[in-house]
Amino acid sequence: MWQVYIKELLELSRDRKTLMFVILLPILIFPVIFGLIALVAANVTASKQAEEHRYVIIHAERAPAFAEKLFYHKNFKQVSTELTEPEALRQAVRDGKFDLAVVIPADFDASSPTLAQSQWTVIYNTAPVLDLVGNYLKDLVKDYSRQLQLARLEAVGITGDQVDAVLEPVKINKISSAENREDLGEKLGGWIAYLLVPLCFMGCSYPAIDIGAGEKERGTLETLLICPISRTNLVLGKFMTVLTTGLATALITVLSFGGWGYLIGSLAGVDVIAKAMAALGLTDLLLILAMLIPLTMIFASVLLSLSIYARSFKEAQNYIGPMSILVFVPLALALLPGVELTWKTALIPMTNISLCIKELVKGTIDMGILSLVIASTVVLAGVLIAVCVHWFQREKVLFR
Amino acid sequence: MIEIRQLAKAFALEKGQKLSEAELQDVRYTGRSFCSVRDVSFSCARGEVLGLLGPNGAGKTTTLRMLSTALKPDAGSILLGNEDVLKDPVLARRKIGFLSSSTGLYGRLTAFENVAYFARLHGMSELALRQRIDELFTMLDMHSFASRRAELMSSGMKQKTAIARAVVHSPELVVLDEPTTGLDIMTTQTVLDFIRGLKAAGTPVIFSTHHLDEVSSLCDRVVVINQGISAFDDSLSAFSNLSSNGDLREAFMTVIKGEAKSCGKSI
Repeated sequence: MWQVYIKELLELSRDRKTLMFVILLPILIFPVIFGLIALVAANVTASKQAEEHRYVIIHAERAPAFAEKLFYHKNFKQVSTELTEPEALRQAVRDGKFDLAVVIPADFDASSPTLAQSQWTVIYNTAPVLDLVGNYLKDLVKDYSRQLQLARLEAVGITGDQVDAVLEPVKINKISSAENREDLGEKLGGWIAYLLVPLCFMGCSYPAIDIGAGEKERGTLETLLICPISRTNLVLGKFMTVLTTGLATALITVLSFGGWGYLIGSLAGVDVIAKAMAALGLTDLLLILAMLIPLTMIFASVLLSLSIYARSFKEAQNYIGPMSILVFVPLALALLPGVELTWKTALIPMTNISLCIKELVKGTIDMGILSLVIASTVVLAGVLIAVCVHWFQREKVLFR
Repeated sequence: MIEIRQLAKAFALEKGQKLSEAELQDVRYTGRSFCSVRDVSFSCARGEVLGLLGPNGAGKTTTLRMLSTALKPDAGSILLGNEDVLKDPVLARRKIGFLSSSTGLYGRLTAFENVAYFARLHGMSELALRQRIDELFTMLDMHSFASRRAELMSSGMKQKTAIARAVVHSPELVVLDEPTTGLDIMTTQTVLDFIRGLKAAGTPVIFSTHHLDEVSSLCDRVVVINQGISAFDDSLSAFSNLSSNGDLREAFMTVIKGEAKSCGKSI
């Protein structure tokens, strides 16, 4: 068995695709993802916030206080226009003559005591995901409306506090019982599994195809079958190889996740990542790795069985391709709102691992359920290894 | 000595596999199975070279696979010396060297590593395997590409490596499935000389081929398999006597036509 194992590892270590899937991808994926987050969070937002938006305001004299607020806003610059009709203003915005038009009705009177709601029109491009213009306006209008509310109510003898009591009789002050870590874990934990588990799968898939179907396609399987070692040892040697590459991927992934998270979070100063990484300890990372071991055993046995069954490399890829999509289903299940780690969900393969990782990141893991998750995954892995060994004894499978 | 008696092997047809007109006429298709080998018997003594002939699809490769223990026969027996190959295939594998029809090397391993891997699987020590590989590489003129990866070798180099791999454990019986197919003249000559060397050392050699000149120059015995049945099993001279002028091609056709008349033979 060990001769098979050593030879398979030697051969795989000389294969660029294996090296890419097992080493390069897990090392590079996190800096790429974290880097992207940092880039979007820092550069894009910063440059957007520094942008100056040219605006026109129609009938500014009807709301001078508002016009003044807009004028002194650091992100707005007033330009003049002869246009007054909304359609013409819209076209001017489309043509890039200015970025925003605020149309105040000609009959608006800020000091009027009449209780009628005034409909203002704002025209700008609402397509960008980061709707900063909308946000700025919303704040300005809210502020201005509040100012008007107070003025009108004070005119009839109601004070500012009474205004709040009338408009919002009950106000909720939220005090979260969740620690920062728990909150972050809830938001990020599921996604960590969403990254780690498919990477383990990928770490197993190419080597499994290569040493199963690839062996058939190259014509080496037949020669191997007539060597004086049992087929059980032969398949276990191959299984160990796939498991090793899968675990290497898992280990490199976890180290890469921890290492890059620390580097980008602490040294590059990306706050969200720094907080998330600070919440995770070495024990948590080791426990995540411990859960990934039996899960990788499941992947290794299933993928090797499929690969041995296939006649060729291509056929194996056809079987394993859809599987790589199926892997995401139980992981997505764990991300659904309300799906928690319980004694029942602890028995759903892969979903249980995903939920466990989430709980670990949150720091609220129940050790009893964690043990059940690991035990059930180990049992399932054992059954699947037995199936894989049995599969390898069958001539119908080996000589298809 | 190896003795094969009444070997038979059938394969289930794939679900939904439709048979052609010719296949429907073929007696080997029965129900949902294909009887690749129906009744094959022959023997090969020490120091003998046995040529296994037959048209494509006759059952030669299946026979050799059963002989090498890669496939388990449905019926029949295989005795290697006094040992029943089917009862203890792992033990038999230590005594048989098999070269399959596909060269089947590990592309990312060198010639040396390919041969050494199989030597280790046969339980050879590091010292013994290095000595043996050195000996084989000298015999097959392989030292010049010993450290070259198989994926970068010519077909001749690959075949030499495959042969070295097949005999690295000094087997008591060597089985070669079309060992010279696709090789150039020089490499073919090396392979044939190597078979002669095995014969001289007293190792029985069974090899399947379509090249009748190789049969005439190497073989002591000839077995012709047709439609899963051993249709001829005798000495080379008896085989050549089947034709009027000693032409092996004519002798081969005579056997095939004769067998065609008796293809109803069942197991």
